[in-house]
Amino acid sequence: MATKKRVTLPKSNSWRFFTCGLRIRVLIITILFCVVHAGVTLPVTRADDSDKFSKKRLQMVQRQIKGRGITDLKVLRAMSTVPRHLFVPDFLKRQAYTDGPLPIGHGQTISQPYIVAYMTEILHIKPEHRVLEIGTGSGYQAAVLAELTDQVYTMEIIPELTDTAAKRLQKTGCTSVTARQGDGYYGWPEAGPFDAIMVTAAAEFIPPPLLQQLKEGGRMIIPVGSPFYVQHLMLVKKEEGKITTRSLMPVRFVPFRRSQ
Amino acid sequence: MKREPAPPLRLHLALALLSAALIAFQLEQMQLLALVQWHHFAYLIISVALLGFGAAGTLISLCRTILLRHMEWLLPVLMFACSIAMAMALPLSRKMTSRFDICLLFVEPGQITLLLLSQCIYLLVFFLGALPIGLVFISFSSRINSLYCANLIGSGLGGLSVVAFMYFLLPQQLPALSALLPWTAGILVLSRPRRLSLLAMGVLTLAILTAVLCHPPQLQPSQYKDISRTLDLPDSKIIAKQPSPYGLVQLVTAPALRYAPGLSLTYEGKVPTISGAVFTNGDWFGAVNSGEPSFLHATTAALPYAMGTRDRVLVLQAGTGMDIIQALENGAKEIMAVEPHHKAATIMDELHSTNKHNPLHHPLVQRSFLTSRTWLALHPERYDLITMPTVGSFGGSSGLFALQEQYLLTREALIELWNHLSPDGVLRVSAWLDSPTRNPLRLAATITETLEETGLDAHQHMAAVRGWNMITFIVKRSPLSIDDIEQIRRFCEQLQFDPALLPDLQAQERVHHHTPADSLFFDNLNSLFSPSGRKELYSSYAFNLHPVSDNHPFFSQFLRWQSIPHLIQQFGERTLPFLELGYLIILISFAQITLASILLILLPLLRLGLPGRSGLKGWNIPFFSALALGYMFFEIMLIHKLVLFFGHPIFAAAAGISSLLFFSGLGSLVSGRLLSKRYGHGLAAALVATLLLLYFFILPPLFQLAITLPPLWKILFFLLLIAPPAMAMGMPFPLGLERLANHSKSQAAWAWGINGSVSVMSTGLATIVAVEFGFSTVMLIACAAYGLAALSAAW
Repeated sequence: MATKKRVTLPKSNSWRFFTCGLRIRVLIITILFCVVHAGVTLPVTRADDSDKFSKKRLQMVQRQIKGRGITDLKVLRAMSTVPRHLFVPDFLKRQAYTDGPLPIGHGQTISQPYIVAYMTEILHIKPEHRVLEIGTGSGYQAAVLAELTDQVYTMEIIPELTDTAAKRLQKTGCTSVTARQGDGYYGWPEAGPFDAIMVTAAAEFIPPPLLQQLKEGGRMIIPVGSPFYVQHLMLVKKEEGKITTRSLMPVRFVPFRRSQ
Repeated sequence: MKREPAPPLRLHLALALLSAALIAFQLEQMQLLALVQWHHFAYLIISVALLGFGAAGTLISLCRTILLRHMEWLLPVLMFACSIAMAMALPLSRKMTSRFDICLLFVEPGQITLLLLSQCIYLLVFFLGALPIGLVFISFSSRINSLYCANLIGSGLGGLSVVAFMYFLLPQQLPALSALLPWTAGILVLSRPRRLSLLAMGVLTLAILTAVLCHPPQLQPSQYKDISRTLDLPDSKIIAKQPSPYGLVQLVTAPALRYAPGLSLTYEGKVPTISGAVFTNGDWFGAVNSGEPSFLHATTAALPYAMGTRDRVLVLQAGTGMDIIQALENGAKEIMAVEPHHKAATIMDELHSTNKHNPLHHPLVQRSFLTSRTWLALHPERYDLITMPTVGSFGGSSGLFALQEQYLLTREALIELWNHLSPDGVLRVSAWLDSPTRNPLRLAATITETLEETGLDAHQHMAAVRGWNMITFIVKRSPLSIDDIEQIRRFCEQLQFDPALLPDLQAQERVHHHTPADSLFFDNLNSLFSPSGRKELYSSYAFNLHPVSDNHPFFSQFLRWQSIPHLIQQFGERTLPFLELGYLIILISFAQITLASILLILLPLLRLGLPGRSGLKGWNIPFFSALALGYMFFEIMLIHKLVLFFGHPIFAAAAGISSLLFFSGLGSLVSGRLLSKRYGHGLAAALVATLLLLYFFILPPLFQLAITLPPLWKILFFLLLIAPPAMAMGMPFPLGLERLANHSKSQAAWAWGINGSVSVMSTGLATIVAVEFGFSTVMLIACAAYGLAALSAAW
C-alpha cells in the first residue's frame, strides 16, 4: 500500500549555518523572513518569479491559452499565477513558457501550457470540489488545480518525481496540495469520492477503483498520447450510475478532409 | 601499361577480414543504437556514417600520390586505428547518445549537435576501414577482380557470422569482438619499414580491445523507451535477458504493472498485476499474465466468443500469449499459436521453474515459430476463429512503425486468412483508436475492399464494436445471422461498448456510450462500403487510407505529401513530426546523405578538373552511380521477397545479403577471364539488366511455387535461383574500375568513392521508392540502373 509523504525542505549543508559569522546569520534570517513573508502574502509574485518570467507568463496566457479559446476566467487566472518556470529543470527555465511540452526526466514531460489549461477547464472545478490527480509529474498541474480549489490530492508512483514535485510545490507556496507516492491504480479511497479526477499518467485501461471513487456527476479527464504529443483527451462522466466518454481534440480541429 | 605485381594472399585475407568486420560492425551497431534509442536513430546514424566509404574515395583521389607512397605502413596503421575506433565508438558516443533523444530532436535545438557528433564518430570508423580497402583497390587496380572478390566474400561472411553471434552474445559484447578482425588484418599486412613501431601499435590496440572485451560498456536505454518507464516503477527489475538477432530480449518484473487493453468501463473486478513484461530492444513486446484472467471477458476482443463457441483457434503473432489465455478461458479445444520471435515468446519460462504458466506450453496449444504469412502458406487447415495482433499502439506510435513491413495486414493476407476460416469461422482484429483517425479506417478499407474483390457484400460479413480507446472488427465467413447481430448488441449493452458496424445499425446506437472526437468518423466508415464513397474518401482525406498490398506492405505509413501544409496549419510545425516521425527520419537522413554525397563527389573535381578536360572520363559518374543504385535496389527488393519466402525476417536479410555478396564475389573473380577488358564492363552491365528484367517476371511465381518446399530444398532452390544474377552483378564494377585505373588511378579512386556514396544514398532512396510506389518499382529501377550503366559504358 502506498505511504503518505511529508513535504519537507532539503536538509543538506544545514550545519554550515552555525559556523558562519553573526552578521551573516542575521542577514540570512532577514532574507528568509522576506522570502517566507512574500510567499504567504503575495501569491502572484512568488519566489524566483522575476518580472521577466511574469511577462512571459502573461504572454503565454494571452497567446497560447486565451488565443486558443479558453475562456474560464478562473483557469486563466490560475495559469497567470502559477510560476511554470519553477516546475521545469533549471536548464529548461528559459523555455518554460514556450508553446509545447518539456522533458522533466524519467520519460515524463510537463504538458504544453494549453493542454494544462484545457484539461483544467473541462473539469469544471468549483472551490468546494475535491480533486484527485494521478501522476503528479512536475507538480505543475496540481499547482494550477490548487488555484481553483483547496482540496487537491495528487499521487505519483515514481518516488524521485514525488520528491521533486513536493519540493517544488512547497517552494511555490502550494500548501493546499496533498501529495503522496503510490500506485495510482487504487486511487485515494480515504480522501474520495472526488468531484474530478485527472489521470495524467494514462494506462491502456481505466482502473475500476478510480471509477468507483468518482462522485455521481463527477468528471474524469485522461490525456491520451505520447509524452510529446497529446492525441486526444478522454472526458469520462458518471451520470445516474452510467459512465460515458467523449473524446476531445486538443487542437481546434476541422475534419480531416482536404477538400474542406 | 605496366601490370602491378600480384597482391599476396595475406592481403586478400586482410581485405576479407576488414570487410567482414565493417559489415558486422554495421549490423551490431544498428542493434545497439536501436536498443539505446530507436531503430530510426540507428538508421540516422549508421546510414550517414557509411558515407565514410565515399569520403575515403574522395581522399584517395585528392591525395593519391602521398597515400600510395606510404601505403605499406599506412595499411596496418589504418587497420589498427579502425579496430580501436570500432571498439570505442559506443563508449565514446554513449555520453552523447544518453543525452540525445530522437523525440527531443524537434523540441530542443541542441540535440542536432549531439546527433551530428554521434554521426561523426561512426563515420570515422567506416572511413578508417574504407581507406585501406580503397588504397588496395587502387594500388592493385589491374588485379582488382580477386581483391574485389575477397572484399565481397568477406562482407558476406561477416554479415552471416554476426547474425549467428547475435544468438548467444549480448549486443554490447559484439563490437570489441568484431574489432579483432581489423586488428588481425593489420597484423597480416605488417610491413618491414617501421615494423617495431607498428608492432607496438598492434600491442597497444590489442590491449585496448582486451580492456573493452573484459569491460563492455553498460547500455542505458532512452528514458522514453518502454523498458525505462517500466524500470522506473518501484521494485521493478530485469530478471532475464537473452540476446537474439531480433534484438535483446528482456524480461522485467514490476509489482505495480497491469495490462488490460480494451477493458470495459463496467468491469468492477480486480485487474491483476502481471507477473512480467517482455521487451525486445527496450520496446514493449507483451505482458506475461499468470493472474486471474476474468477481466478478459470484459474486453472488446471477447466479441467472437460472445457470439458462440470457438473450438479451433488460430492465434497469429501470439506474443506472450494473452490471446491464447483468452481462447483457453473460453473453452477452445485446439489452439495453434504462431509467433516468429522464438526467444521473446519463451523467455517467460524464466519466471517459473515449471512451464505451466506459459500458455505456449499448454497441452491444447500447438506452436510454430514462423512468420504468420509463411505459416498460412504452408498449412491449409481451417479455424473457427483467427485472431490477429492489435493494430497500432495506445496513445499512438508517432509514426514510428511507418516503414515497418506488415505482411499480415495486406490485401493478399486478408484473402489467405479468409481461406483459413471454417464455414462459420470468424476473423478478429482490433485497433487502438487514434486521433486523427488512421488505423481503424485503413483496416476497415482493407477488409471491405478484399471482401468485395471476392464478390461478397462486406456489410453482411462485418461487425465492429468500440470501447473508449479500442475498436474490434470481426469478419465472419458466412453472413452475420439475426442471432449473431442480437448477440453482438447484447455484448455491447452488457459491457457498455458501442456497435460501430452492424448490418442494420441505427446512427444513434453508435454513440450511446462513447463519442469520438472526429465528428466525421462514422461518415468516413460508411463511405468505405461503396466504391464511389471510398474513392472520394481516399482522395480527400488528409492521410493515405488506401489498403496496402504485399508489393507495398507499409500499413502504418499514412503521410501524404500534399497534406503537409494542411497538417502544419492544424497541429503546428512542432507537433507534426510526432504524427509521422518514422518517415520524416528517413527523409531527413536521405537529404543529409544526398548533400554530403554531392559534396564528396564534387570535391575531387578540384584536382581532377571538369569533365572533358584533363582526360576526365565522362562515363565515370553515370556508370559507377548506376551500378551502386542498381545493386542496392536489387538487394533491398530481394530481402523483401525473402521475408515471406523463408518466414524469418532476420534469416531473410542474412541469406539475402550474404548470398548476393558471395556470388558477386565469385562473379568478380571470373569476370576478368570471361569478359574482355575493353568492353567487358558494359557487356556485364547489360547482362545484369537483362537478367533482372527476366527475374522481375519470374521471381514472384517461382517463390510462390517453392514456398512449400522443405527448408533444405528451399535454401538450395534459392541459391540456384540467385546465383546467375548475383554473379553477373559482381562483374561490371571490377571491370569498369580496372579500365578506368588503366587510364587514371585518381579517377578510379574517385569512381570508387562515387560508388560508395551512391550506395549509401540508394538505401534511403529505395525505401522511399518502396513506400511511395512499391517494391516492383524498386526492382524495375534496379533493372533500369544497370541498363543505364551499360549505355554509359558505351559512351
